[in-house]
Amino acid sequence: MSLLDEITQLRQNAIERIKKSDSLDSINEVRVKYLGRKGLLTVVLKQLKDLSPEEKKEIGAAANKCRVDLEQEISQASELFEGDKAASDFDPTLPGTDPNIGKVHIINQVIDQICDTFRGMGFEIARGPHIETDYYNFESLNFPPDHPARDMQDTFFVEGGRLLRTHTTPVQARELENREPPIKIIVPGCCYRNEAISTRHHAAFYQVDGFLIDVGVTLADLKGALVAFCKNFFGSDVKLKFRPSFFPFTEPSAEVDISCFLCGGKGCQICKQSGWLEILGCGMIDPNVLKATGHDPEKYSGYAFGMGVERPAMLKYKITDIRNFFNNDIRFLRQF
Amino acid sequence: MKISYNWLVELTGVDWSAEEVADRLTLCGTACEEIESTSRYMDKVVVAEVLDLKPIEGADKICLATVNDGASTFDVVCGAPNVAVGMKVPLAQIGAKLVGDIVIKKVKIRGIESTGMICSERELGLSESHEGIMELDTGAKVGQPLAEYLDFNDYILTFELTPNRADSLSAIGIARDLAALAEVEIKRPKVELNEIEEKASDVVSVAIEDLNACPRYAARVIRGVKIGPSPWWLQKKIITAGMRPISNIVDITNLVMLECGHPLHAFDLDRFGSNEVIVRLAKDKEKFTTLDGQTHELTPDVTMITNGKTGVAVGGVMGGLDSEVEDSTTNILLEAAYFNAPMIRKSRRVLGLVTESSNRFEKGADPNGIEYAIDRAAALMQELCSGQVLTGVVDCYPKKIEPWDVTFRPGQCNRVLGTTLATERMVEILELLQCQVTGDEKLTITVPTFRPDLEREIDLIEEVARIIGFDDIPDAQENIGPLFTPSHFEDDFKVDARRTLTGAGFDEMIHHGMVEGKLAQFMEPKVAPIKILNPVSEDLGVMRTCLAQSALNVVQHNISHRNLDLRLFEIGRVYYPPDKNDNWVEEDRIVLVVTGNYPSDWRNPARPNDFYDLTGTMTALWNNYKLPRYELIPASSDWFDQEISFDIQYGGRSVGRIGQFNQKVLKRFEIKEPVFLAEFSIMPFIEAGTPVARFKPLPVFPAALRDIAVVVDLTTKAGEIVSAVKKTGGDLAESVKLFDLYTGKQIPKGKKSIAVAINYRSAKGNLSSEEVDARQGDVVAMLKKNFNAEIRDK
Ligand SMILES: [Zn+2]
Repeated sequence: MSLLDEITQLRQNAIERIKKSDSLDSINEVRVKYLGRKGLLTVVLKQLKDLSPEEKKEIGAAANKCRVDLEQEISQASELFEGDKAASDFDPTLPGTDPNIGKVHIINQVIDQICDTFRGMGFEIARGPHIETDYYNFESLNFPPDHPARDMQDTFFVEGGRLLRTHTTPVQARELENREPPIKIIVPGCCYRNEAISTRHHAAFYQVDGFLIDVGVTLADLKGALVAFCKNFFGSDVKLKFRPSFFPFTEPSAEVDISCFLCGGKGCQICKQSGWLEILGCGMIDPNVLKATGHDPEKYSGYAFGMGVERPAMLKYKITDIRNFFNNDIRFLRQF
Repeated sequence: MKISYNWLVELTGVDWSAEEVADRLTLCGTACEEIESTSRYMDKVVVAEVLDLKPIEGADKICLATVNDGASTFDVVCGAPNVAVGMKVPLAQIGAKLVGDIVIKKVKIRGIESTGMICSERELGLSESHEGIMELDTGAKVGQPLAEYLDFNDYILTFELTPNRADSLSAIGIARDLAALAEVEIKRPKVELNEIEEKASDVVSVAIEDLNACPRYAARVIRGVKIGPSPWWLQKKIITAGMRPISNIVDITNLVMLECGHPLHAFDLDRFGSNEVIVRLAKDKEKFTTLDGQTHELTPDVTMITNGKTGVAVGGVMGGLDSEVEDSTTNILLEAAYFNAPMIRKSRRVLGLVTESSNRFEKGADPNGIEYAIDRAAALMQELCSGQVLTGVVDCYPKKIEPWDVTFRPGQCNRVLGTTLATERMVEILELLQCQVTGDEKLTITVPTFRPDLEREIDLIEEVARIIGFDDIPDAQENIGPLFTPSHFEDDFKVDARRTLTGAGFDEMIHHGMVEGKLAQFMEPKVAPIKILNPVSEDLGVMRTCLAQSALNVVQHNISHRNLDLRLFEIGRVYYPPDKNDNWVEEDRIVLVVTGNYPSDWRNPARPNDFYDLTGTMTALWNNYKLPRYELIPASSDWFDQEISFDIQYGGRSVGRIGQFNQKVLKRFEIKEPVFLAEFSIMPFIEAGTPVARFKPLPVFPAALRDIAVVVDLTTKAGEIVSAVKKTGGDLAESVKLFDLYTGKQIPKGKKSIAVAINYRSAKGNLSSEEVDARQGDVVAMLKKNFNAEIRDK
C-alpha cells in the first residue's frame, strides 16, 4: 500500500471514529491516536524523509490536508458536546413558563371525589330538576301533607306551585318510578333551604344522595357500604358511629358520625371536643316510598343515604366561611 | 328539651353516670346534645348575710353592703333595689365564674373597693330573673356553699328529639327508653288522692262540639287552694327543664307536663264565667286575648275552649287572660284534654305562637294518658296548695281511642336488618317498650296509645334496631346490586369540559340559581324570571335566566378586590318559567368570561384577554367533541357592543351568544374594565354523544409549505379568506393557517395584510414543484379576483 493510500485509509478510519464518539473524552482519544505527537499521522509523516522531493511534496500536501480536515471534523464534533458542560451564564432560576392551568372549583373537586368513590362501588350517576313538585320532593318520599317533618326542611316556594328542591332525594323517586330494580344510583347536586346566610349556613348547598334497591338488601349492607365509602374517602383508619334518627323516607334511619380526622378522635375545637363529626344521614328505604313508586316492598328492599358536600369540604380543607364557595374570589379558587 | 339527670335516675333507678346516660340514649335515637352541671356557676358562691348598708356619695343607684360570709366581713358594692340588712344572699367570692363567663375580681367602683358580688338568679344560671338579688331563707347557714345549701348538684341533659318521637317529650318518655336500655321497669310517681264528698260533675259540665278537633276533654275541680311559691324540689325540676317557676298551681301543671308529657291548664273557676265548658271551633274573625296579653284574630282552624258564651282558652295552645290563675285564686278548674295534632298545628300558625303545650299536642299526645296526668296534678294541688279535690273527673270522651294491633314477623325483622336475632330477644325489646306481644310465628303487637308513630311492622323493626343499637348490626362485606352501571353522559361531559376549560387557563366558578330580580329583568327583558315566594332576601329573589348575571357579579367582586386579570367559566343552569302546558324547562349552559390581561412573564409580554380567548377556547371544546364548527353571526344584543356582538350558531340554530359588554351593562354592574363573555347551551355536546375519534393513516408523501401574504380591505373577514384558500387549494391543501395580521405604516389606510401558510400534500404521490406552483397560482388568482387582494412580496 502506498503512503497516499495509507493516508486515505487513515483519514477514513479517523472520521468513522469521530462519528461514533459520544463524548468529548472519546473525541479527544481520537485526536491523540491520529494527530497526537506519537499519533498515526505523525508515524506516516516520519516515512517522508525516505522519499523523493516530488513525492515529499505531493504526500506532504495530502497529509497536511488530512490533518486540517480531521482537525475540523474534531472541532465540529466537539461543539456538539460542548453543551454538555455547564455554561456559567445560563440562569436556571428564572421562573419557568407557567402553563396557566385553571382550577376546578373545590366543591366540584369534592363532588368528583365522592362520586368517583361510589362509581367504583358500582353506583351510577343521575340528575334531576332543581325546581321540583311537592309530590317528588315530599309526598312520594313519605312526607304526609302538613306534617312536622316538613318543618325540618325550610322550603323555598316559587310561583306556579313548585318549590326549590330541599334535597337531591326526589331524583330517587323519579328514577324508581321509571325503572325496575336493581337500581344503584348516586345523585349529586344543588339544593335549597330557607336559612339565614352566615359563615356556617347558606340557603343553597350541595348534596350527594345515593340509594340501592334490589332483592334482599339489608341494613347490614348499608352499614358495609358506608364503612367502605368512608374508609375510601376519609382514610382507612376512620371509625363510624351510627345514631338512630328520623327521616320520613327511610326506616330505620340513622345519622352517621365519623371519628374526627383532624384530631384522630381525641377531641378538638372542630369536633367540639367530642372526637366525632356528623357527616351522613341514611336508612332503609321506607316501604311507603317503594309503594308510591310502584314497587312491592315485600319483594324489594333498599337503602338510601345522603351527605352534604360543603361540610366535609370545609372540614378537610379547613375553610372557615361557607360564603367563600359562592363568592368565587380567584384568590380562593386558586388555593385548591 | 331539657331534663335533669337526677329526675331520670329517680324514674328508672339506673346507676349510670350522666355521660353514660347521655351516650346510651344518643345511641338509641334519643339524642342528648349537651350535659351541663347545674352548679357550674356556683363554684365559690356561698351563703352570706347583709350586715349593713351605706349609701355611696354621688351614686343613687348603688350602695355599699357590708357582708359576712362566715369566714370574714367585707364590703361589696350592690345595685339591687331589694337588698336589705339582715337578708341572706348568695355571694360570689373572688374567683367565682358566673353566667356569661364573668369572673369575679377585686374591683374599685367610685374609689371604693368591692370584694365579691351579691348575685341574682340569672347570674347563677337559675332563671332569667334579674329584677333583684336572690333572697335566701332567713335560716340559711352563713358560709355554706350555695350549691350545697340549694341541694343543687345535678346535670341538665339537653335532648334534640326527632319530630316523630312525640312520646319522648317528657321525663317519663325519656325514662322509658332509658329503662328499656337498662332492662328495668319505670317507677312512675304514685298518686294519692283524698277526694271530698262534693262531686265535680255537680259543679261543671263538659261538652265537645267538634270531636275531630278535640276527641277528649276531662276536668277536675279543686277548691280552697292557697297560691304561693312552690317548694324547692318542684322549682328545681322546672328550672332544670329551662322553664321559670311562677306559682304553685302553674308550676304543678308545668311539672306534670314535663313529667308525663301531657299539657294541662288550670283556670280560675270563679273567673271562668259559667259552669259549663264547651269546646268548639273559633268563628271567623273571632277576637281573643291570650294570657300573654296579645289579642288575636282567629279562624275556624282554631279550637276554642269556651264558657258557653265567650272563649276562655285557645285549646292546646294558650289560656286566656281573663280566666288566668292569680294570687287571689281559690278554686281551680283543671283541664286535661286531647287535641287533634294537625288542628293544633294550624291553630298555632294562625296565632303565630309556639308553646310548650302546642309543641306536644302537634306532635301527638296520649289520649289515654289523661287520667294519670289530671290525677297527679290534682294530688299535688291537694298536697302543696292545701286544695280539696272534688270527687270524680268530668270526662267527655265519647269515642275511646284504643291501642292498636300490628303484625310483626321476626323473620322479616332479620331480613331488613341483616341480623340473626332470636324471636325472644325481639319480644323482650318490644315488651320493654311497653307493647303487648301475643302469638309466636307471626306476632301480634298491641301498641300503647302514647306511641302514635308505631303503625306498621317496619316501625317496630326500627324499635328493635335502635334498642339493640346499630353497633350490633354487622357491616356486610359483599358488594351487592349491579356491578355494572352505565355512565351518565351529561355528567361525563361536564367533568370532561371542566378539564378542557381549566387546561385552557380558565378558573371554575359555581353559583346557585337564586339572583336579584330587577337585574334578571334587565339582563333578559323578554323572560319573566321565576319568582321565589319566600326569598331569604331581595338579592336572591328570582331564579336566574342567564349565567351572565352571576358571572358579572363574580367579575365585579373580583375587580373590587383588585383581582383584575380574570378568565372564568361556569357550567350552570338557567330556569325558564313554565309554558301554557306547565312544562318547566331547565337548561344547562357554559359561560366563559374574561377581562384584564393574559398572564405575562419575563419573555411573554402582557396582552389583554379578549374575544379571541373565548373563540379559541370554544373551538378547543368543539374539537374535543368532534363537532362541526360553530358559526358566529353578527347580531345586535342588549348586552354587547354593537361591533362585537354575535349569535353562536350551531347546526343552523342559535345556541348562545358572544361579545364584549356595552357600557350600559357594565355601568349597571359597576365595572369599568372591558369584559368579554360567551354563553352557550351544552345541548350540541349532549346531542352529539360520546365522540369516538377514528384513526386516519399518517401521510406517506412529503409536504410542501408555501406562504402567501395579501393586502385586502379592513372589512374583509379573515375566516372567509382562509376558507376560500382551502377551497381553491382543494385536495392538495392539507391545511391552511393564518399566521400574520398586520395594519400600519407599510399598508395603505383602510387596508390590512393577512398572511397564510398552505401545506400542500397529496395522498397519491410526491408533489412536483410545478404541481405546487400551479395550485398556488390558482390561489393567488382567486384571491385577486374574489377579494381584490394585492399580493405582498416578501
Ligand atoms: Zn376533633
